[in-house]
Amino acid sequence: MSKVKVASNRITIDPITRLEGHGKIEIFLNDQGKVDRAFFQVPELRGFEQFTRGRPAEDMPQITSRICGVCPTAHHMASAKTLDDLYKVDPPPTAKKIRELVYSTFMVEDHALHFYFLGGPDFVVGPSAPAAERNVLGVIGKVGVEVGKKVIAMRRRLRDVISSIGGKVVHPVLGLPGGVAKRVTPEMQANCQEVATDAIAFATFTLQVFNDIVLANKDYVNLIVSDAFTHKTYYMGQMDANNHPNFYDGSIRVVSPEGQEVANFAAQDYLEHVAEHVEPWSYTKFCFLKSVGWKGFTDGPESGIYSVAPLARLNAADGMATPLAQKAYEQMYETLGGKPAHHTLANHWARVIELLYAAERMKELADDPELTDPNIRTLPTETPREGVGIVEAPRGTLFHHYVTDDRGVIEKANLIVATQNNSARIAMSVEKAAKGLVTRDKVSDGLLNMVEMAFRAYDPCHACATHSLPGSMPLLVSVRDKDGKPLHTLRRDFDGTVHHA
Amino acid sequence: MHECCSARLLCLGNDLLADDAFGYVAAEELRQRMPYDVEVVFTANTGIGLIDHLGQATLLVVIDTVVTGSADPGTVHVLDEGDLSSVPGGSPHYIGLFETLALGRKLEMAMPDRLVIVAVEASDNMTLGGEMHPAVRAALPVVLERVTELVSARRKIPCA
Repeated sequence: MSKVKVASNRITIDPITRLEGHGKIEIFLNDQGKVDRAFFQVPELRGFEQFTRGRPAEDMPQITSRICGVCPTAHHMASAKTLDDLYKVDPPPTAKKIRELVYSTFMVEDHALHFYFLGGPDFVVGPSAPAAERNVLGVIGKVGVEVGKKVIAMRRRLRDVISSIGGKVVHPVLGLPGGVAKRVTPEMQANCQEVATDAIAFATFTLQVFNDIVLANKDYVNLIVSDAFTHKTYYMGQMDANNHPNFYDGSIRVVSPEGQEVANFAAQDYLEHVAEHVEPWSYTKFCFLKSVGWKGFTDGPESGIYSVAPLARLNAADGMATPLAQKAYEQMYETLGGKPAHHTLANHWARVIELLYAAERMKELADDPELTDPNIRTLPTETPREGVGIVEAPRGTLFHHYVTDDRGVIEKANLIVATQNNSARIAMSVEKAAKGLVTRDKVSDGLLNMVEMAFRAYDPCHACATHSLPGSMPLLVSVRDKDGKPLHTLRRDFDGTVHHA
Repeated sequence: MHECCSARLLCLGNDLLADDAFGYVAAEELRQRMPYDVEVVFTANTGIGLIDHLGQATLLVVIDTVVTGSADPGTVHVLDEGDLSSVPGGSPHYIGLFETLALGRKLEMAMPDRLVIVAVEASDNMTLGGEMHPAVRAALPVVLERVTELVSARRKIPCA
């Protein structure tokens, strides 16, 4: 049922669309029939520019958050910040705190779900476990039903906090240019404090689960630091004034593969630092650092490829802003042998550390006496023209950029989503896995697992990763020689069984 | 938590994305036609987010679009949960409806006795502000009929 497109010396792995997200892996063979190059492509929405043109900029927090059902809160916040910049208006301190509180709550939820339910099959269940167990039920089998219930209950309470402050949980309506729509009452604050306290306990417990199940297993640690999952690239993340990651606001810091700061810029200057490379065979745009330049799909200090997401944020930072997260941060780099850590799979670890930070930050904000201050909006008075806003989405740095006429009607809108920032490095990860496993006449079963693990660690956002029908990602790998003659076919079905033909 | 009801029609999609608006359009129609004890829900939620909408119903009908690539746009697929392998293997990202359902059962949450999927083959779910394909739109009466049949034939089992 999968779609397979084969050019003369090209392999396409095209999971059936619209089931679980639609990532496509293309493997190009050379004249010798060996893997020349492999790419991971993420489908992108079409028509964004056209759809937004002519609409009032104030609608953008709602429109952009409705594009994607996965991280609407990230788009909503990036968009609200872009409107602040567009109207040159500085929200009152309480409004910023309310926004960051909602955002921290969202980050706790998203990171927790990823660790237990999405990344869990790789590390909690284990990379070598039978295919039939490498799923969410396998995770519950390993951590126990009570822990599963705890995750679901925590999620529910976090979402209730987002709903009570943000209006709606799936598509929040909180952010306005210059502030927020609704103040926090003392009752809401008390509830936030209670949930935040429990979120810290939950995150601490989750870190313990990671220690007990993943770090206690030498094989897992060896896999994390193995060469197959290692790339020495630049790293980017949004930092506070102390160079500690901040998901909601700050400046964008970039460090080199050796860990030296090479850039630290305000949102408005992003185009001076980030450029997009286009390959003729792909609609995916590959982001790179302008100052270093595009040198192809290669790592090292000469190549402008960078990455975002949890590990990149921690690599780009000097430490964490909260005490428990700082302790976990130190432990991670000590174990991995220093900073920056170039091991893609360490993203899972970094995500748990960020989960802890988000919970601690949530508590700090919930405890802030200023949170219930009624001054939550600065009214815009400037004529709009151009605005840029950035947040750290769970999956990495998210850029929004709007240009309007003087009535605030959108003329041009550009988004760079986290996965776009990561696209070149994800492609390299997939290529490394493919090169190790694919030859002219054989595609190893392990390819699918290795390739999936490589890109899952980044938690890539599939624009159309929408709902419903069966869970697994059916894959069809068809290897053809350079004349297009089929040599080998490998198909994995919904139930995880692999067939050769 | 949802109140107890004997049937829920869960319409999925995104009304901004061309054929993906089908779920939204179907929900609007179904709200006009269904008896009082049938709950009609539209959501753009995905993956584990669907767990909020699965519980406390005897019959759950999911109305959605799908791109299998093996049928013409507008083709209506009707699948019972039993028609599909229950627990899929490792997934690249996001857990789907069936995994969410299996998770809910494993965690002893109230899950529906019967799940039926009514999905329309879409041609384009990726164009923001795109028009719905005429054949997809034309499938609406067929879907309404199938859903009505399912609701009429549902077992009258009180919710737990």
